[in-house]
Amino acid sequence: MSAVRGRTVRRPWRLAAEATALLVAAVVAFPLYWMLLGALKPAGEIESTEPRPWTASPSPASFRRVFEQQEFGRYFVNSLVVAVSVVIASALIAFLAATAVTRFRFRFRTTLLIMFLVAQMVPVEALTIPLFFLMRDLGQLNTLGSLILPHIAFSLPFAIWMLRGFVKAVPESLEEAAYLDGASRARFLWRILLPLVLPGLVATSVFSFISAWNDFLFAKSFIISDTSQSTLPMALLVFYKPDEPDWGGVMAASTVMTVPVLVFFVLVQRRLVSGLGGAVKD
Amino acid sequence: MKLSVRFVGLTALATALVAACAPQTSGTSASDKDEKTGTVRVWLFQEVDNQPKQRVVDAVTAGFEAAHRGTDVTVEYIPVETRAQRVKAAFNDPKSAPDVIEYGNTDTAGYVRDGGLADVTREFNAWSEAKDTDPTARQSVTVDGKVYGAPYFVGVRALYYRTDVFRELGLRAPKSQAELISTAKRIRAAKPGLYGLAVGGAYTYGAMPFIWADGGDLATDKGGAYASAIDSPAARRGIEAYTSLFGDDNCPAAKCAGMGGNDTVTAFASGKAAMAIGGDFSHAAVEAGRVKGKYAVVPLPGVEPGSIAPAFAGGNNIGVLKSTSHRTLAVDLMKRLASKKTQGELFDAMGFLPTFTDVRQQAAVEKPYVKPFVRTLAAGTRFVPASPAWAQIDSSLVLPTMFQEIVSGRKDVAAASADAAKKMDDAFGAAR
Amino acid sequence: MSRLTAPSGAERAEPRRVRVVHGSSRPRGGGRTPDRAPRPSGGWTPWLYLAPALLVLGGLLAYPVYQLGLISFLEYTQAQVSGGEPTRFRGLANYTELFADDQFWQVLLATVGFAAACVVCTLAVGCALAVLLTRVRAVPRLALLLAALGAWATPTITGSTVWLFLFDPDFGPVDRLLGIGDFSWTYGRYSAFLLVLLEVVWCSFPFVMVTVYAGIRAVPAEILEAAALDGASQWRIWRSVLAPVLRPILVIVTVQSVIWDFKVFTQVYVMTGGGGIAGQNLVLNVYAYQKAFASSQYGLGSAIGVVMLLILLAITLGYLRLLRRQGEEL
Repeated sequence: MSAVRGRTVRRPWRLAAEATALLVAAVVAFPLYWMLLGALKPAGEIESTEPRPWTASPSPASFRRVFEQQEFGRYFVNSLVVAVSVVIASALIAFLAATAVTRFRFRFRTTLLIMFLVAQMVPVEALTIPLFFLMRDLGQLNTLGSLILPHIAFSLPFAIWMLRGFVKAVPESLEEAAYLDGASRARFLWRILLPLVLPGLVATSVFSFISAWNDFLFAKSFIISDTSQSTLPMALLVFYKPDEPDWGGVMAASTVMTVPVLVFFVLVQRRLVSGLGGAVKD
Repeated sequence: MKLSVRFVGLTALATALVAACAPQTSGTSASDKDEKTGTVRVWLFQEVDNQPKQRVVDAVTAGFEAAHRGTDVTVEYIPVETRAQRVKAAFNDPKSAPDVIEYGNTDTAGYVRDGGLADVTREFNAWSEAKDTDPTARQSVTVDGKVYGAPYFVGVRALYYRTDVFRELGLRAPKSQAELISTAKRIRAAKPGLYGLAVGGAYTYGAMPFIWADGGDLATDKGGAYASAIDSPAARRGIEAYTSLFGDDNCPAAKCAGMGGNDTVTAFASGKAAMAIGGDFSHAAVEAGRVKGKYAVVPLPGVEPGSIAPAFAGGNNIGVLKSTSHRTLAVDLMKRLASKKTQGELFDAMGFLPTFTDVRQQAAVEKPYVKPFVRTLAAGTRFVPASPAWAQIDSSLVLPTMFQEIVSGRKDVAAASADAAKKMDDAFGAAR
Repeated sequence: MSRLTAPSGAERAEPRRVRVVHGSSRPRGGGRTPDRAPRPSGGWTPWLYLAPALLVLGGLLAYPVYQLGLISFLEYTQAQVSGGEPTRFRGLANYTELFADDQFWQVLLATVGFAAACVVCTLAVGCALAVLLTRVRAVPRLALLLAALGAWATPTITGSTVWLFLFDPDFGPVDRLLGIGDFSWTYGRYSAFLLVLLEVVWCSFPFVMVTVYAGIRAVPAEILEAAALDGASQWRIWRSVLAPVLRPILVIVTVQSVIWDFKVFTQVYVMTGGGGIAGQNLVLNVYAYQKAFASSQYGLGSAIGVVMLLILLAITLGYLRLLRRQGEEL
């Protein structure tokens, strides 16, 4: 398609556009490049007042420092546990809810939809105060549960809203056919509908994954004394001391924290773009 | 789509349903358990150079674990800047709280009002070593006649300066506040790479001596109720003097407005400043830095030539949390951490001034560098208002905000100090 | 990337046409069946399906929102929380205290201005680059898409530290590149906000770009070609072909951006060290956090939270009305 469209654009303009695109790509990617570079530079080079955009002698010292000084591996696992739990739980719950609101008509359906939409707008951060007391009363402070539970709640409304489009897209004729074949409702739900909606679930999970993986405020407020339950953002800030930040350590820790999300993104990016289109359109 | 009566009705119903429950208060009542085994958790402050402190503490905990079978001590070092949040969060959730904490003596009244610290009067009075505790230190753990911890060390600040720079420029250690400021600016003019005197907009306890030296005070005690005095003419003179040190002719505001006490000490230790206001507790960090052997310490000068500016009688204490379920063990650990032996070792390792008069005298004999600090102590020290409101004034950054507003040119001294006074009075009023 | 079909307008015209899903069994991104009323009935089944969601949302969203409102009417400081003093109902006192405070209005103004600037910049950059993407061949397009995905994937906290490092007065490359010595970006109020804005735009434009790009691609090539053959100018093509298609998408990305940028927390907190010199870079979120967790005035912090909630609610309701006016069906 783009080839067809490309012909309609005059040549010098297209070359200029392509040059701009490459330039912008370089600028956008530069911070990530600098992060990786900072993580690999030896200590002397990173604290130099003449920063150079390359390094002749990359060293793993910063990475080693990160993993040795702090229990970084453990925090990494903690973060992963939180993000994966949130992704799975919110995907399943949202799938059920999205099915209910798209494939049934019942009282309060519209009301519920509006409430899901409104719920999306609730500023998570404003709820830190009551959630702190709630988690305390549930005895969840200092556990990963105090991060998992709120993030499930916060990613649900958007997930439901987004999945709606995917559930809707499954032709009703398919459902009728399934029932004619004698499939039970549960069988249809889990064996037929779920696999069909899977791409949508993947696209949705990107958002819940990111929100859980990024979480800083809750970790800061709820994981108070038990550092063994810390997640990556807090661990990263240990290297960022205002008086004398250990930039090499910060960059190495940042790299470790960014890579899994990048991998996840690259894996799902095709689904993501189509998923967004689906959600946005509906 | 209808934004109908139904929607409103449902919302109202939901509201009514949950209206029955109100937020609870945590029972930070004393725990009734007193277990004799298990994990005892300790929070200590993270110092600029923490390694030597850690070694002393490790020895203490090893001794403790050997004496009490089946116990395990975990020590966590928390940053001083964010201690308020951490400690309060711990009060809010007894389950995750430590058993023993180090806390700044300015926080004592606030923590006691919050119901966080255990009353250890009985144990403290029965402790054989306690009788040698210096009275000021003892005062710093006492609220309404009850003792809420053991003094850990005394902190008092004095002027660190670079002997090599002074010799090169033909300067002498300043004898008055005016001379201090002019010396700082002369150094900066001669050596643009150095801060003359490293100051910080968030360094309250480095700024206070200027205010006190000029005859001002933070607040006045009017029969049990405090009223802010930070906007009095005398206090303003002190603020004026301190903030005049921010600028390209000494410590550029862009760099220094955001600095706290530790930052200024770090700057001095790494050779970026010719002078700094540092504590006895900063000694180890400076010794470990680039300026080892090239500096000396004198008391911070007052307004009159030859006088000493009143210093802030800082210091930290070790306390036991009310919510601990290992009270006996925690008190024993507190005593071990604050014992004469440990304080002596901490002095050797970190330069922390002991709170026991006899140990301190011994220290002054052994280590001459303590002399300026002891002299400062002897010249008379001051303290922050002994009100629970102080902890809040401190954690709401009232004074750092005031200094930063002035040095960034957003407000003049009069306006900024008046605003700060108002905020302080609000806090005092609320605490009454 | 799967093609997106043109939205509602065209399809409305021919209702009840069942789209055949070619080849693969997975539904295409937006390939949607016509809007048909979902089958009635089901009895309790839909509620059964909804139960987990409602339970979670009720307990962890609605209940905290209610608690937030409640605490905002209470005298609730550390002493009350730890049981030292009784909790007292103080009516609107927290709000009057808040509204009488100059700093609150300053922070509110800064929040609105900052969010607006972020939204405008994000949308401008995102849309411009989306259009650019349609004008280039595969290699530059892939490069730009990958770079944008990278920025998108970067966790907010690492984004913040990396941008701080880029703009570090002593060791960062930006000051060197611009030749401005050791200019401290976080010292001045506006330069600090600018720094945060750059980071926010960097990490949020990809969402706009990818979404709008997907929207443009959804316009069938034949229509565009026909328009071009008819000699329609670029501007006319934009106005009469692209704009109608893109409008709903633009509305959504705008609303999303407003909501996200209004609640920026991590970037401001990390990059300006908790609100900047003398609190100059506070935004509502950070302000509420500082009030509640630093100076333990939970009541006052909750009142700020309520104000934020109401502002965002107003935006949401405006959005819903817009949706309704466009005749979208839920």
